[in-house]
Amino acid sequence: MSDDRIEVRGLTKTYEGGDPARPALDRVDLDVPRRHFVSLIGPSGCGKSTLLRVLAGLERPDSGHVAVFGSTPERMCAAKAVGLVPQTPALLPWLNVRRNVVLPSRVNRRAGNAAGDPDELLSMVGLEDVARKYPHQLSGGMQQRVAIARAFGIRPDVLLMDEPFSALDEFTREALQLHLLRLWEHMSTTVVFVTHSVREAVTLSDRIVVMSARPGRVHEVLPVDLPRPRGSGVTADPRLHRVEDRVRASLQVAWESGAAPDDLVPL
Amino acid sequence: MATGTSPDVRPRPTTVPAAHPRRRRRSVLHPALWLPTVVAVLLVGTAWTVIAAEQPYILPTLSEVGTTLVDDPGLFVRNAWSTLQIALIGVAWGAGLAFVLALLMSEIPILRRAIMPLAVVLNVTPVIALAPALVVAFGFGMTPKVIVTAIITFFPVLINVTTGLRSVPPPVLHVFSTLHASRFEVLLRLRVPSSLPYTLAALRVVLPLSIVGAVVAEFVAAGSSSGLGTMIRNAASNAQLPHVYAAVACLAAMGVLMLAFTATVERRLLFWHESQQRTP
Repeated sequence: MSDDRIEVRGLTKTYEGGDPARPALDRVDLDVPRRHFVSLIGPSGCGKSTLLRVLAGLERPDSGHVAVFGSTPERMCAAKAVGLVPQTPALLPWLNVRRNVVLPSRVNRRAGNAAGDPDELLSMVGLEDVARKYPHQLSGGMQQRVAIARAFGIRPDVLLMDEPFSALDEFTREALQLHLLRLWEHMSTTVVFVTHSVREAVTLSDRIVVMSARPGRVHEVLPVDLPRPRGSGVTADPRLHRVEDRVRASLQVAWESGAAPDDLVPL
Repeated sequence: MATGTSPDVRPRPTTVPAAHPRRRRRSVLHPALWLPTVVAVLLVGTAWTVIAAEQPYILPTLSEVGTTLVDDPGLFVRNAWSTLQIALIGVAWGAGLAFVLALLMSEIPILRRAIMPLAVVLNVTPVIALAPALVVAFGFGMTPKVIVTAIITFFPVLINVTTGLRSVPPPVLHVFSTLHASRFEVLLRLRVPSSLPYTLAALRVVLPLSIVGAVVAEFVAAGSSSGLGTMIRNAASNAQLPHVYAAVACLAAMGVLMLAFTATVERRLLFWHESQQRTP
């Protein structure tokens, strides 16, 4: 067991009522070194969200071993070392933006309430002008930026993001990716990022974990050797397209190996 | 979360007024807003006047009702206050107890299984049938009337608050869970605020219902000396229809005031909720 990485070994998880012969996750191994940005990508049903939920301590594995920097997910959560950004912003509508961002420091005070300066966090995601507004007054993209600022607010060791940009249009999505990169480089957090988008995975990650479905398995782990820091120019880099092609090819194989009759559209 | 309904973010549709006249927000003075109401009131008023002129034992004339009110306003104010007191004390007990029980049931499943069946039985029991027994037990004072009102208002609040406490979206719960928030923190910071729209919706139903409870209790408590319900019963037995309708008008006015009060509270407390957002 090592303290400098997230380590998953032989993780198997079957949902109640699910087919035991086809677990949601089947003997999954995963390594995420500290301060790395790792994306999980794969067809639907490959268990990438389940894997994230296990890391967040929201699900218990049936068997296997999960260690987050030498600790368990539950203990990491108890120490407020885990930030979660779900698919929807999940803000509290009765609190204004600033109060939403400081909310994590207000709960579970036993683990300390050390928090980043909310105004600095908000200005890093470009929302300093709407600190007093309420979520319903913001666009979807702005709401998701608040959710990201909130997750960074506790200065988490691990940031878990479950398709956080999937509900947004492409322009907003690209802008938010840059915001996220900037925050991540500033905070040097470890990020596990679930996504459906090849472009998004390549733009953001150090490493891409391609998963296959039925049962959910790690198909291949691909490194992304693009220089950091990455700005808006990264999409013009020909190396980005080479990596994208490799991820697409890998996904194609992963898809074919786990395709079910109801998956009509290949990736 | 598709809450793109905020007026300052979403691009305003450039409506051509001639093509989409309904899209514009109208001022209160616009005839389209008040005219239908005025016409409806005039129609009902005319029908009332015609019937009252033909059949004085079916309806008193509106002017008779008006004169009765104006002749002795103190009488109506005193009795209205008496009824209002019962209604408010009753609803405070009924709704308050229901809220506390809903909180406890949401945290303690055993309590839920114990209380819910009893609450359902109490709800389907016609309280009016219970009222005479309560008068026998507690006399002609306020107590039996308050109890009747409390029972009537209890159940809607219990059901709504219970539903509201469970209406927290799972992703928000997940965020709280990864922060290792305690059950108490989840209850206080998440469940109770989430239940507020449901609680206030229940109040909207239950406040007017509390007047029904108080009046019914006054009908049943034969010896009671004050209250609009008592007044209606006595006036009706003497065939004083103007008095009856004057008292009924007072009750209706009380109900309207209560609704206006809850609407104001809702606007204040639920400014963040979908129900309070203007849709153009």
